[in-house]
Amino acid sequence: MNASLAGMFALGTGFLLVLFLCALAVERGVIGTRITRHPVVYTLALGVYASAWAIYGSLELASTSGYGYLAYYLGVAGAFLLAPVLLVPIQRMTRTYQLASLSDLFAFRFRSRWVGTLITLISLLAVLPLLALQVQTMGDAIFLMTGAASPSLLALAFCAMIALFAMLFGTRQGRVDGHHDSLLAVIALSSLVKLVAMLGLGAFALFVVFDGPADLQAWLDGPGQAFQADVVQPDPAHWRTLLLLFFAAALLMPHIFHITFTETHSRYTLLQASWALPLFLLLMALPVPLILWAGQRLGAGDVLPSAYLAFGLSESLWMQSLAFIAGLAATSATMVLIALALSGMILNHVLLVAHPPEAQQDLYRWLLWLRRALVGAVVLGGWLFYRIVGVNHDLTTLALAAFVGMAQCLPGLLALLYWPGANRKGMIAGLVVGLLVWLLGLWGPLLTGLPPLVVIPPGLEAVAGEPEWYVITLVSLAGNALVFIVVSLATRTSEGERAAAEACSVDAVIRPKRLPLEAANGEEFKIHLARALGDEAAQREVGRALNDLGIGPLDGRPYALRRLRDRLQANLSGLMGPSVAQDIVDRYLPYREGSAGATEDIHYVESRLEAYRSRLTGLARELDGLRRYHRRTLTRLPVGLCAFGDDGELLMWNDALAALSGIEGASVIGARRDSLPAPWGELLGRILAESHSHLYKQPVTLEGGVRYLSLHKAELTGDDSEPGGMVILVEDHSEMKWLEDELVHAARLASIGQLAAGVAHEIGNPITGISSLAQNLRYDTEDPEILETAGQIQQLTDRVSRIVSSLVGFAHGGRHLGGQAFAPVSLAEITDEAIHLIHLARSGDDVVFENRCPAAPRVQGDAQRLLQVMVNLLGNARDASDPGNRVVIEASAEAAGLRVAVTDEGHGIDERVRDHLFEPFTTTKPPGQGTGLGLPLVYSIVAEHHGQIDIESPPPGRERGTRISLWLPLNPQEGETPR
Amino acid sequence: MYVYRILLFLVLGGYLLSPLMMSGWASPGVAWYRPFVIWGVLIALTLWLEQKRKLDER
Repeated sequence: MNASLAGMFALGTGFLLVLFLCALAVERGVIGTRITRHPVVYTLALGVYASAWAIYGSLELASTSGYGYLAYYLGVAGAFLLAPVLLVPIQRMTRTYQLASLSDLFAFRFRSRWVGTLITLISLLAVLPLLALQVQTMGDAIFLMTGAASPSLLALAFCAMIALFAMLFGTRQGRVDGHHDSLLAVIALSSLVKLVAMLGLGAFALFVVFDGPADLQAWLDGPGQAFQADVVQPDPAHWRTLLLLFFAAALLMPHIFHITFTETHSRYTLLQASWALPLFLLLMALPVPLILWAGQRLGAGDVLPSAYLAFGLSESLWMQSLAFIAGLAATSATMVLIALALSGMILNHVLLVAHPPEAQQDLYRWLLWLRRALVGAVVLGGWLFYRIVGVNHDLTTLALAAFVGMAQCLPGLLALLYWPGANRKGMIAGLVVGLLVWLLGLWGPLLTGLPPLVVIPPGLEAVAGEPEWYVITLVSLAGNALVFIVVSLATRTSEGERAAAEACSVDAVIRPKRLPLEAANGEEFKIHLARALGDEAAQREVGRALNDLGIGPLDGRPYALRRLRDRLQANLSGLMGPSVAQDIVDRYLPYREGSAGATEDIHYVESRLEAYRSRLTGLARELDGLRRYHRRTLTRLPVGLCAFGDDGELLMWNDALAALSGIEGASVIGARRDSLPAPWGELLGRILAESHSHLYKQPVTLEGGVRYLSLHKAELTGDDSEPGGMVILVEDHSEMKWLEDELVHAARLASIGQLAAGVAHEIGNPITGISSLAQNLRYDTEDPEILETAGQIQQLTDRVSRIVSSLVGFAHGGRHLGGQAFAPVSLAEITDEAIHLIHLARSGDDVVFENRCPAAPRVQGDAQRLLQVMVNLLGNARDASDPGNRVVIEASAEAAGLRVAVTDEGHGIDERVRDHLFEPFTTTKPPGQGTGLGLPLVYSIVAEHHGQIDIESPPPGRERGTRISLWLPLNPQEGETPR
Repeated sequence: MYVYRILLFLVLGGYLLSPLMMSGWASPGVAWYRPFVIWGVLIALTLWLEQKRKLDER
């Protein structure tokens, strides 16, 4: 008693101020999320389980039961060891459906607001003794240190500060589904403080009071035996029951549930806690016997209750302050979290159920203040329970009363995870039985001081005479579980419960039905919901749900609307609890009436299976592997494939179809056939309406132009239980269609060629005659005018002969007719002539041709055929150019040859056709304007000249245009080509 | 997933056998820290299984 009341107040206030500052630092971003969301912080926050009971109560239990005190730590450590099979499934549910508390979880699973209310009531009643325990340890510690006559008032002041803190930081975001980084950080800091304080006290006991481990062992084997003689090791049955109670506490206590599931950031974090939390608890439990034995050695047990032996280790104010701070850190964290968790449960399952919000002006503010008031009420309730009840009982009695009460929810929780057959009637009946036994046997006597009222059922007579907590635990849990099972088996389970059971069951996947909704899109959702939540809240909630799902507000796909409805229900559940959320959604976002014949939502089931893969084992995993294989086969099939359900909803849209249509599957799956983008809705409707199973070469205008698609359909009929619908294959037969058209065109050209060859042959003879006559005329006259005319006639007949020869050459497959020697050819002249011909063929004034070829050097070649090459190249350049563009023809000597480049500023050549340009019938021109034979002919002529041809589109350093460059050897006989 | 079964076996086995172990802890001559050593070994085992689980689900 060497501390003043003011000093104690300053110490306690100072500690709470540090917590305030820590929370502020997190909220202001001084401490980043990299730290606050670290698994270590989360594990430390889970250390809130080690409440004031762990600091003081464990000493009390260790003094009477020896190592029996470890049950408190090992029970919860066991629960966390089973995190992958026990905690992770619960975490999955709470995150998926935004369930913030145990009441939410039960109300969701059993589709009953009464279950939620009952769980809230049990939690409230069970937690009151635990809250009283926290306040009591605070009051006792203050009394021990100061000797103050009324420590309870100081405890009340601390309670007020704790409540204020919870109101400020725990409810600040106004909703319980959001993570509170500041809260998590503060709880973690509290855990760190109490851990350090306990380790400090333990180290003091071991190295100051005792002279190290060897001295301690010598004391235990010697004088300490006298103290050990008073210890009664727990009976194996008691020990196992204690383990079970604390195991259940890890899953059921409102504050542990809140931190484990509501504030968790990820599955990974929870799995890390499976070994990290037991380690934390080990470090917390280790100092307990050391402090106890040190206190016993110093004889502190004669003047202090065993729970507070830590205060007797030293007269030093520092050591006593350490013991006080350890307790205050544990108390404050526990009370803050209990108040927050319980206020949410009471709000959602008592207040909102009794008075649902009817279009509040500011729903969020209204909920926030309700919540804050409840936080204050819960903390005040804890203080009152301490003043009325707690002071008359030891810590162990209070703690066990709380834990046995909460354990009544254990049968329900296990059934929730592993027994889809359980129903709400069984749940309520079992809970009521367990609650009554607990109230009459433990809680009532705690309050009234009357002896416990226990009826031991037949078969459990052996427990008569055992401690009350043990008897009540066994009788209440046995009665609870038995009634639960019998009533569940004897009564009918509703459809809604069955669906919820599947959603909660560890091995099940939800199989929702495809039902159409009244609302047609997200905007209509807002209008419907505004009647329940008010305009602002409706806008915000629908906007948030749309954002979560990545859906547009005007997306009218039935699949998207169903997901939106589910998401809204989950989000509202986080805000107001599952019962109220379900009422609102059922009432204001109903399914369309008279919509029968809906089948299972295959796409949704598949997406869930994808997410659950790691949970499948054995045969299920093998089957899932098979499912994936078939799915992949369909998705990657190189032919377009889509499938429709019986109700016309699109269920599959594979990769090939996505590539062909340019429409991603995710954006259309779940849509109705008639709402698909043009032309797909109409096209697929055509095959669906068709009596035949095939439609061939349907012309369809797509982004890349007209395509010709063939469609084939097959019915997906199966047994009654299997989904029906239609599968459609879409094949792109455009190339085949074009090839057919080109073949027809080519046949026509060939016949013209044959005709031309015949005509050429017939013309050849008279031309030869005309040429001979002109020759004769030159010999017969000296008149210069006649001589000139005869020379011109000969030149013109030569030209006609060459044209006829070319025509015959083309008709014979474009082969060069042999026997004609190459002559030196000036490319500058050929280019001029080609430009002249181009201008003759079309007005040609809109494109500017620039001939920059030098007159020398000349190449050896066939001038007529090279002219044909140039005419083709310039014609293509002109067709690709816009009016006013320039086409430049340049030539330069290169590696024993001449390189000629034709560069235009046109639209360029599509990458897809670039590699096929020299193949016959490949054209980039509109239908009817190009034969696709020009460039193949060019290629053929250049090859005859042992030259090369290259295409660059666009040319290097330019954004558009095409450059076609030819390399022709100066002397083709040598056959050299550049490298 | 198979690791989960080992965990279940470990926890249930520990639950059933723990009274037997506890009766020995309080005997004279038994080091006072023995329960904590056993507990530490269990934590190390869980950590190891956690690593194995990651590999199993990869």
